[in-house]
Amino acid sequence: MKRHTTTLRATIAATLFSLSTILPATAGELTFWTWRQEDRAAYTELFRDFTAANPGIKVNFEAFAPENYNTIASTALAGGKGGDVLQARAYGVLEQFAKTGYYRKLDQASVPELANLPAEALAAETLRADGAVYALPYASQTLGLFINKDVFEKAGLTPPTTWAELQSVGAALKAKGITPIANGTATAWMDEVFAGIFTAPMLGPDFVADILAGRATFEDKRFTGALAHLLELRDLMPQGYTGIDYPTSQQLFLSGRAAMFAGGSFEIANFRKQNPKLNMDFIAPVAMQQGQPRYVAKFFDGGYAVNAQSPNQEDAIKLVRYMGTKAYGDKFAALLGNISPIKGVEIADPLLAKVAQLNAVSIPYIMAVHFRFQSPTGSELLSAGLQKMFAGQATPEQVGADVTAGIATYFTPFQKKP
Amino acid sequence: MHSSRLTGWALQAFLLLNAIFMLAPLLVMALSAFKTNAELFAAPIAWPEQFSLDNLRLIWRETNFPRYMLNSLEVTAAAMAILLVFATMASYALARYRFRGRDLLGLLFLAGLMVPLKLAVIPLFVQLNWLGLIDSRLGLVLIYVAMGLPSAIFILTGFLRGLPHELEESARMEGASELRVMWSVMLPLARPAMVIAGIQNAVPIWNDFFFPLVFITSDRLKTLPQGLSVFMGEYNTDWGVLFAGLTLSALPLIALYVVLSRQFIAGLTSGALK
Amino acid sequence: MRPGRALWIGVLLAPALATMLLFVVWPLLGAFADAFYSFRGLAPDRFAGLTNFQDVLFAEPWRSTALQALRHNLVVFATLLVAQNGLAFLIAFALLHALPLHRLHRVIVFLPVLLSAVIVGALWKLLLHPLFGAVNAALALLGIEGRPWLGDAQTALGSIMLANGWHWAGFPALLFLAAMQRIPREVFEAARMDGAGAFMILRQIVWPLVAQATTIIFTLTFIGSFNWFELPYLMAGLAGSPGGATDVLGLFFYRTAFGSVSSGLQDFGHGSALAVLMFVFLAASSAVALRFLRRREIEI
Repeated sequence: MKRHTTTLRATIAATLFSLSTILPATAGELTFWTWRQEDRAAYTELFRDFTAANPGIKVNFEAFAPENYNTIASTALAGGKGGDVLQARAYGVLEQFAKTGYYRKLDQASVPELANLPAEALAAETLRADGAVYALPYASQTLGLFINKDVFEKAGLTPPTTWAELQSVGAALKAKGITPIANGTATAWMDEVFAGIFTAPMLGPDFVADILAGRATFEDKRFTGALAHLLELRDLMPQGYTGIDYPTSQQLFLSGRAAMFAGGSFEIANFRKQNPKLNMDFIAPVAMQQGQPRYVAKFFDGGYAVNAQSPNQEDAIKLVRYMGTKAYGDKFAALLGNISPIKGVEIADPLLAKVAQLNAVSIPYIMAVHFRFQSPTGSELLSAGLQKMFAGQATPEQVGADVTAGIATYFTPFQKKP
Repeated sequence: MHSSRLTGWALQAFLLLNAIFMLAPLLVMALSAFKTNAELFAAPIAWPEQFSLDNLRLIWRETNFPRYMLNSLEVTAAAMAILLVFATMASYALARYRFRGRDLLGLLFLAGLMVPLKLAVIPLFVQLNWLGLIDSRLGLVLIYVAMGLPSAIFILTGFLRGLPHELEESARMEGASELRVMWSVMLPLARPAMVIAGIQNAVPIWNDFFFPLVFITSDRLKTLPQGLSVFMGEYNTDWGVLFAGLTLSALPLIALYVVLSRQFIAGLTSGALK
Repeated sequence: MRPGRALWIGVLLAPALATMLLFVVWPLLGAFADAFYSFRGLAPDRFAGLTNFQDVLFAEPWRSTALQALRHNLVVFATLLVAQNGLAFLIAFALLHALPLHRLHRVIVFLPVLLSAVIVGALWKLLLHPLFGAVNAALALLGIEGRPWLGDAQTALGSIMLANGWHWAGFPALLFLAAMQRIPREVFEAARMDGAGAFMILRQIVWPLVAQATTIIFTLTFIGSFNWFELPYLMAGLAGSPGGATDVLGLFFYRTAFGSVSSGLQDFGHGSALAVLMFVFLAASSAVALRFLRRREIEI
């Protein structure tokens, strides 16, 4: 049988081989896979430093379209190929790859630099089943409000700090023909971001703790009440907001046609590149009452993983170790405008430093951090519900009930509720 | 065909309306390629203030555009040639001969249309890897041929079925071989269907970026949509650049079509019996 | 049958059959097998029988999503069949006449077919844009207030079908035209001698005599409508925005198998189960439809 397949294989291969090309893996060369094409220049520089410190190891940068990255990476890994070091996602997606055995387990023995990272960051790249870390985390993201300072200044207004101020400032902006909030609801995943931002101060850490312990579900008054408040923002959003997608929202903010944009710190570098003259600020979402804490929602983006089947294990580990050093973190933050979670990293950029400061008063971005491990994910359920709610097809209570019912299919604490 | 004057005017008016409906969005796309992003958002359908070549220049500078285009041309041309030959042969057998299992076989070919081949991306990868066809243009060509066969065979079979039997019978009576009957008598009559099936398949092959993304990793082998998809991901909020990229990637096919339009029309009408 | 004839048929069929078996049938069988497995991470783990099928058919939230998507697919099929192909039939009939500019019209009608779905999606999104769109701008000139076409649950699906019609109408039009051209001219002349009007000719002569083209177009529209994916994906996103108003089976399948942007979880078990179910439904319906449709065909 074996012989037969070999002959068959040889015959087919021989007939097809003439035009095909295979690139053999060259020793001393690593391939880095990522979905961040826009980071090419920064990584080229970071890898140059690595090669300088490790002569003889060159790193090639390979970027793939983000919406197809998971499929491409899992397909290649299933076929025993793929980059030597791969940019990995966090939480549920990380678990899928790690569980299948595609990523190499990292520990303090092989990568002592793991000690440079806070537990919270490592948790995002940990497989809960075995408690092992499978990727070295590279960035945290914070969700908050972008402010176009010039627009506010020209309108003679100051950015809001409370819900009431948000309403009055919004009305004043509108009177001057400026859209107060750039966000629309046409792009589903952005709706979760939008809700995550404005509801964070209303929910606070107690609510998150209650959910995880099963003391509350998403039918809780605190949650549905927060969703109901979101509906008050409809007046401040662009005309036809149900048809306004993510790129349009970004564009409205970048061009100064809108004064605020609810989004993540991952936009900062992109916004600067798109409009270098943009005078922006990043602030925490407004509190319901003056003096209450203004929580931001925070999560970890992803990490660097080693392909378990890579023939260049030793070099790949060297690269990941380098990516866990403070020197790397400093340069990463400076070049990519993202917050590296590596301890002691210095952030020179004032806006980024401010984001880091906001992180001190934060809650986890709840669906991403806790309910993206199984289908239907909390994110899918919530964003679908929010879109219906904004279109007037569902009440906040219905959204809360749908989210709870969906999550209850696998989250046992919710199942106990009658 | 001739028609009364009134019907003629009504039909002409209908066709002109249709032409506007078909051409106007294309014009919007082409014009958008020459606009800055700000301009595009301020006045999306207006004539560009000045025909700015910045978007096109950016693409030229940041991607290996000529290389990608050449690769796309090679892959598409090779796939189309193989596809049309294979599909015509199979359709001819299915349409002009009676044999056992014919209908089932026809359905088997058609079934290829009913399942998303994307689902099989992992088994396909493993198989191509086994054949040494990862990161090779031949691998892509073969997938495209397989992907295009179902609809090409279905369309061609449908058309070949409708051709009159007397033609081939009289040729056979004169002692022509089966090959001769097929080549000289029947196939010339099927040219319109071949033209339509050809173009219908050339478009998705030319535009596909999924399979190259998965199966091609070397920059020198990348196809146009694949090369541009990564590039445009970076500029996803810059619609001017986006439309410039889209226009550029559509241009080769449209240019080819316009240049060959005389042959296209001739091919379409060649099936007319009188 | 003479042995030579059988060999000849075999030679004609072999290349296409081999390519299909090697690059479609075989890998797909591998993928279909996933439907019967539960997964550990991204790899099939344990044989699970029909569990995945049961889930997508009967368990929430799959069931209501699948039903809603199926309903939308039926609407899409009915609409495209009548509107898109009806328009195509009329265009073809108009093109059949030797009107002035008819060559130019024939070239133009097929132009949109040459565009990729990516272009068509981006283009129509721009045209239908609530703030900057040409459609709302044109309506404003007529004093009609526009709406966020793609953001409104009432109009979103219809808008995507409109874009689809624009993209594809030229294809059935040319198929109809090619079939109409095979109708001998004497048939028309005889009909006209008998005093038949344009509508009469269309109904009594053209329609029955283009049955082969109708078979092809009906079948391709049917399969295409139920595998509809690219345009809704590009114009409404993987979630079928707004709030599932444009969700179709193609999106549901893709989301399940490959994961949505927000969650990214891949689930080949349930995804394959959905694909198998869709395949069985399409294959069975197509087989029945083809039998019926081919009976209508007349040899000219």
